[in-house]
Amino acid sequence: MKNKIILYTCLLAITLISSSCSDNLEQYNVNDRNITQEQLEVDFQHVGSKYKPIFESIYQYAPAWSYQLQQNLNADVYSGYMTNPRPFVAGANNTTYALVSGWNGFIWSVPYSNVMNNVQSITELTGDDFPTLNAVALILKVSAMHRVADVFGPIVYSNFGDLENAGVYDSQQEAYNAFFADLDTAVAALSANLDSQRFGAFDLSYGGDYTKWVRLANSLRLRLAIRISKVDPAKAKSEGEKALSQAQGVMMANDDSFFVNSALDHPLAVIDNSWGDIRMNASMESILSGYSDSRIGSYFTESTDFPGEFKGVRNGLPLQAGYADELAQKAAYVGFSGFNANIKTPKVQLMTASEVYFLKAEAALRGWSGAGDAQSNYESGIMMSFDQHGASGAANYIADNTSTPANYVDPVNNENNALALTSNTVAWDNGADNETKLEKIITQKWIAMFPEGQEAWSEFRRTGYPKIFPVVSNQSGGAIDTDIQIRRIPFVDSEKSTNADNVQTATSFLKGPDNGGTRLWWDTGAPNF
Amino acid sequence: MKKIYTVLIAVFSFVLTMNAQAQEKSITGTVTSKSDGATLPGVSVVIKGTTKGTETDFDGKYTIKASEGDVLSFSFLGMKTKEVTVGESNTLNVTLEDDSDQLDEIVVTALGVKKTRKSLTYAAQDINAAELNTVKQTNPMNSLSGKVAGLNITRSSSGAGGSVKVVLRGNSSIGNNQPLYVIDGIPLQNPSASQPGDTFGDVNGGNKDGGDALSLINPDDIESLSVLKGASASALYGSAGLNGVILITTKSGKNGKFKVNANSNLTVDTAAYYMDFNGDAEKNVDSFFQSGFSNINSITVSGGNEKAQTYFSYGNTSSEGIIPTNKLNQHTFNVRETAQLFNDKLKLNASIMGSTQSIKNRPVSGLYFNPLVGVYGFESDTESLSDYENFEELDTNRNVMAQRWFRATSDIEQNPYWILNRNKSSDTNSKLVASLNLNYQVNEWLALQARGTYDRSQLDYERKIYATTEATLAPANGRYMFNQYDYTQYYADFIATVNKNLSEKVNLNAVVGTSTTRNTAETFIADSGTNGGLQFANVFAFQNFNANPQVNFSQQSFESRSNSIFMSATFGFSEKVFVDVTARNDWTSTIPQPNNSFFYPSIGATGVLSELFDLGEKVSFAKVRASYAEVGSGFGPDQISPNRGILFGGGVSPVDPIRPFPGTTPKPERQRSFEIGTEWKFNNNRLGFDIGYYRTSTVNQYFAVPVSTTVVSSGVAGLNAGDIVNSGIEFTAFAIPFQNEDFEWRTNVNFATNKNEILSISGEDLDGLISPEFFTISPKGVNTFGSYLVEGGSFGDIYAQVVKRDENGTPIVDGDAVIMDEENLVDGLTKVGNANPDFTLGWSNSFKYKNFSLNLMIDGKFGGETVSMTEAIVEGFSNNSARETSNSNVTVVDLAGNESTLTAQEYYGKVGGRNGFTGEYVYSATNVRLAELALGYTFNLNNDSFFKNVRASLVGNNLFFFYKDAPHDPNVSLSTGNALQGVDVLGLPSTRSLGLNINLTF
Repeated sequence: MKNKIILYTCLLAITLISSSCSDNLEQYNVNDRNITQEQLEVDFQHVGSKYKPIFESIYQYAPAWSYQLQQNLNADVYSGYMTNPRPFVAGANNTTYALVSGWNGFIWSVPYSNVMNNVQSITELTGDDFPTLNAVALILKVSAMHRVADVFGPIVYSNFGDLENAGVYDSQQEAYNAFFADLDTAVAALSANLDSQRFGAFDLSYGGDYTKWVRLANSLRLRLAIRISKVDPAKAKSEGEKALSQAQGVMMANDDSFFVNSALDHPLAVIDNSWGDIRMNASMESILSGYSDSRIGSYFTESTDFPGEFKGVRNGLPLQAGYADELAQKAAYVGFSGFNANIKTPKVQLMTASEVYFLKAEAALRGWSGAGDAQSNYESGIMMSFDQHGASGAANYIADNTSTPANYVDPVNNENNALALTSNTVAWDNGADNETKLEKIITQKWIAMFPEGQEAWSEFRRTGYPKIFPVVSNQSGGAIDTDIQIRRIPFVDSEKSTNADNVQTATSFLKGPDNGGTRLWWDTGAPNF
Repeated sequence: MKKIYTVLIAVFSFVLTMNAQAQEKSITGTVTSKSDGATLPGVSVVIKGTTKGTETDFDGKYTIKASEGDVLSFSFLGMKTKEVTVGESNTLNVTLEDDSDQLDEIVVTALGVKKTRKSLTYAAQDINAAELNTVKQTNPMNSLSGKVAGLNITRSSSGAGGSVKVVLRGNSSIGNNQPLYVIDGIPLQNPSASQPGDTFGDVNGGNKDGGDALSLINPDDIESLSVLKGASASALYGSAGLNGVILITTKSGKNGKFKVNANSNLTVDTAAYYMDFNGDAEKNVDSFFQSGFSNINSITVSGGNEKAQTYFSYGNTSSEGIIPTNKLNQHTFNVRETAQLFNDKLKLNASIMGSTQSIKNRPVSGLYFNPLVGVYGFESDTESLSDYENFEELDTNRNVMAQRWFRATSDIEQNPYWILNRNKSSDTNSKLVASLNLNYQVNEWLALQARGTYDRSQLDYERKIYATTEATLAPANGRYMFNQYDYTQYYADFIATVNKNLSEKVNLNAVVGTSTTRNTAETFIADSGTNGGLQFANVFAFQNFNANPQVNFSQQSFESRSNSIFMSATFGFSEKVFVDVTARNDWTSTIPQPNNSFFYPSIGATGVLSELFDLGEKVSFAKVRASYAEVGSGFGPDQISPNRGILFGGGVSPVDPIRPFPGTTPKPERQRSFEIGTEWKFNNNRLGFDIGYYRTSTVNQYFAVPVSTTVVSSGVAGLNAGDIVNSGIEFTAFAIPFQNEDFEWRTNVNFATNKNEILSISGEDLDGLISPEFFTISPKGVNTFGSYLVEGGSFGDIYAQVVKRDENGTPIVDGDAVIMDEENLVDGLTKVGNANPDFTLGWSNSFKYKNFSLNLMIDGKFGGETVSMTEAIVEGFSNNSARETSNSNVTVVDLAGNESTLTAQEYYGKVGGRNGFTGEYVYSATNVRLAELALGYTFNLNNDSFFKNVRASLVGNNLFFFYKDAPHDPNVSLSTGNALQGVDVLGLPSTRSLGLNINLTF
């Protein structure tokens, strides 16, 4: 009996203990070293804190290797600005057209992971109540995503984050239309509230000055309009004129330029100084030294192997005979010219006022109203760029009608030598045809936009200018033509494996197969005029 | 002093046992073994029907108070239990017979419930201390390789103190596949701070093995080890026991004179299994590796009297690895006090175990911070690698000692001696487990037990990286990394045990209880980073960090709690048929209500055929068993709705952490497992076998599924998905072909096969929204090896980049470009095999001749593939492989079909490299090796000698391979998590060890 009592008491105890078993256990499940939604709302950081990652991911600051894969080993090289002294993957890599899908995934993942989601979050929180904050987010979104569209073609833009239409791609044309529409919304909201200081605390570019943001939006619109000027001249003209006629206008002085100021190091500083993975491109040497352009000293450092000279490396080098491995060949080329410290300050350059002058010059050639005079825009662009870099001799440079790009000599291996591809000069020639004038404009714009390889590559593909050297070794297995050069990057592996159906639809929007040789929508391949 | 103690206890017990009935008298006697007449210490002497008992002392003598008519039960492991009734005489000498039957052998099962072996309804295999420690190793789990059917042991390539991957019955989970370790009934916390996941290596310190708790346990403290293989066995442990349980029983003090045992084990290790290099490179590699040694010493003291017993042990390990400067030092101590109070009704068992371990320059795998890159890649006509032991020279520009190497350093290659001396790492691990167990025998059929443990592990890691280290890894002034992980587990349970004959034929052995567990984890990471940097060169302290956001400081705190109630009942019918039912319910803090409760049932039955039917003389034992169980698994803490992290000086993290897929509620993982088996013994237990079949299906695993970044920004979302089935057969057999007075030969064979099928990896209700084609275990990253789960494939499938071949199998190389095979790609790679073996075989033999003994253990794994990325890297970046410098040629065709010949150097130079055509470097993982050898001698001693027992043995481990195809040892892996199986990326070559073991008892 006594034992039974003990037994039942124990069972009762167990049941009582267990009945309180499940109460409120969830409260223990939080890692309180991360930040909760409530904590973020203090000082409105639930909105504000999302801007920083957007700013820092358009042209990604850190980690430097992520930038290297996001842009440096594709657009920066394809633009003719720079190239790698080390022939990665035994010379079979992006720069020799053996596209490395493991690298190129980052071109896609960085903007979608770091920009689009944060923009969407800001739009949800501010779209109704704080339209200017939303406006800045939209401008940043266009600023980031047009670059992605210019790499792949069709992208996911208007359906981003929409679970009903998850992962559905826009064609590049639909994307551009959406860009223009977003810029409309942004400009309208900002124009209504130009004096507001609301964004000051979160602004890494303009200190909260909405006027400059409107100018940026207009300049972006102009850039996009020029981009589509061959494939859809009517739309291009209408958007371009809209930009030129908007009340705040486009960028006019160097302090209107779009830079991101972060506390982090410029990724090129790491890639150049620490890793020795990037050097001046032979095309840059040919054009800048041919023109005796004094900006060469602001952009690059003299070669350590050839003192006194600015020496570039020919792009698209394979693993050449005579070198046991990649490192041996790197040792031969790493002593060529690297970048000047001015290029590697913690300010990332995304769009300059000088570029806008060149856009206006081309707009004038195309007869858009509000574009002004082509020659004066052209010359202003050059002067603005010299001024930005503190280079001297702008006046003589502008008047120079004899210097032409130089032939290129590779002192390490003469087989890589190349003859200059053009004999166009710097000085404007009103009597020349539009094609010659355009070559001058685009070539000078190309020089001014350094080191932003993405835009330079897009413009090279659109216009064929400047005439940059082709790759030495083409390992694309026939997909990419050596003279036409690479036209785009194929859709990334992660999309093909997680979003296969939509990628297939997107591929049908292209003008050819999903490879590097297929031209994008605005890349008509037709004459420029 | 001891006499006073005894008297006090006696008085105390007298005071408390006022209820003593009947005339008790003191019975004494000696217990001897029938086979050789030797006295038997440690024999349990219990008054049947009570818990009053004692043990024989070192001379086999016992004393117990009992009354006439009481039945004394004498039992000892390995011997038949004998019962003798107390008569008039006060002296009762007893002889015990060897029990090769082991029918009534008591085995410890889940939660410390004791059952007879014959009543088990599931497969379990026991290893006793002698078998475990035939050849002693720093991590006792290594010694299990080949000894238990279905248990697959893979060692980490991180040298001494490394963790061990233990997989029972195949991989079923993308989370944790390791079993639960239980020490004396209490689950052991086994955190592993980090396991490598990336073939490149972690730029933050290299791919390092975070170690595991088992390496912190003194192998000499282990009395026996029981492997509960399937869910049926471990259902009582709930989700923690999902993958099986390894129950370890440690030694405790025994009644008797104090006994001291000292053991010293010294082995010398040499680098044995790595790829073939050409003559010069081989010389350089040999000059780099040194002979390592491992010295494990331990001393145990145990003794006590009837009422209180003490066990104390201290173990010390010191070893040096085959890589210079790699050292391990470890101290372990263990104190256990057992006492019987209140007339033996209350048993108290208290213990503290502590250990500290310090490892310098623990070997890493992968490419970053790995000295082997430089060792294998060194190529110079004029110098040799040992010239670079002088690893630094003064840089007059900076006035600092700078690294010197035969060529410019690169992200993956530095002077190996620089890495070992100027990129030094240090791991300091410590563990403390304190536990208290009170067991109160209420009456003869009911006992109550309460237990509590405090289990704390602290793992500290730091790496000091000096200035002029390769720029990808550290900025100009160097880099300092410091990680600290602090894990605590509090566990308490309260259990009632019932053992009652319900009727003459029916016996009930039941357990009802409740338990609560609380786990906390605190981590702290400080790293001056690859860009942040130090203010002043080579000063390694936090205040010297540059104050900019590229340094990393972060802290995390996690906590999880769970409460459970459980019940287990075994009904025995005339000791011939047993039916076993268990049920457990867990409530966990890691899932929000109302889904936070899980129920795990299991049911099993076994019939002892040899007792139910007359099977003839030859059959001494036969039984059949079958069981079914369901177990589930929860989540780690803070996985359901984690918040965004903060970057030091860098604002909020740009990306949301991994969360459940929008709109879904995560459910716990569920495993259903079924097994049947039969066991037979013949010829008076001279021969026997056990064969079983199991099938386990795991569903609803919580995957981090790759999702398009356009839908979920982080590119991954959590989703319940997956249906993975493991099925297989386990077979063990033993025989004693010879047995006589002088000579005995015992042999044991273990065979197991496991088939793993991934029936599906897609989740529910989300067709079209996300349709993962694969789930990543080892990401490809920027290299060309990956491991993925694909529907229709198996866990452990490995993928590499394969060269396209024409119809004749000739590789296609067009000019400079090697053409890639692009059929059936998963994440850009082709499947080349599976890391897991098709079947495993272990064969051990033990010979005894007079005082000599010889133990041989042969361990074979058959089937499976492994990739030697090491060879790919060596051939891609140098000409050091023997194959490249041989005069052989490789025929290739170009895209048009024209044949040409390349030298081996040209061909392998093109296909090699870490991101090259790893498909050319796939080998069969089949291997058969002589795993253990021990030749021992027990010395004959005089009766009056100081030592009671002296035994010496020559021991060898991993001595040679009868067959191996891969250039490396396939039994070693770079990670003891799920990733990086089936690939070798510059892992430390495994070693061959030879040494001496001396055991003294006095």
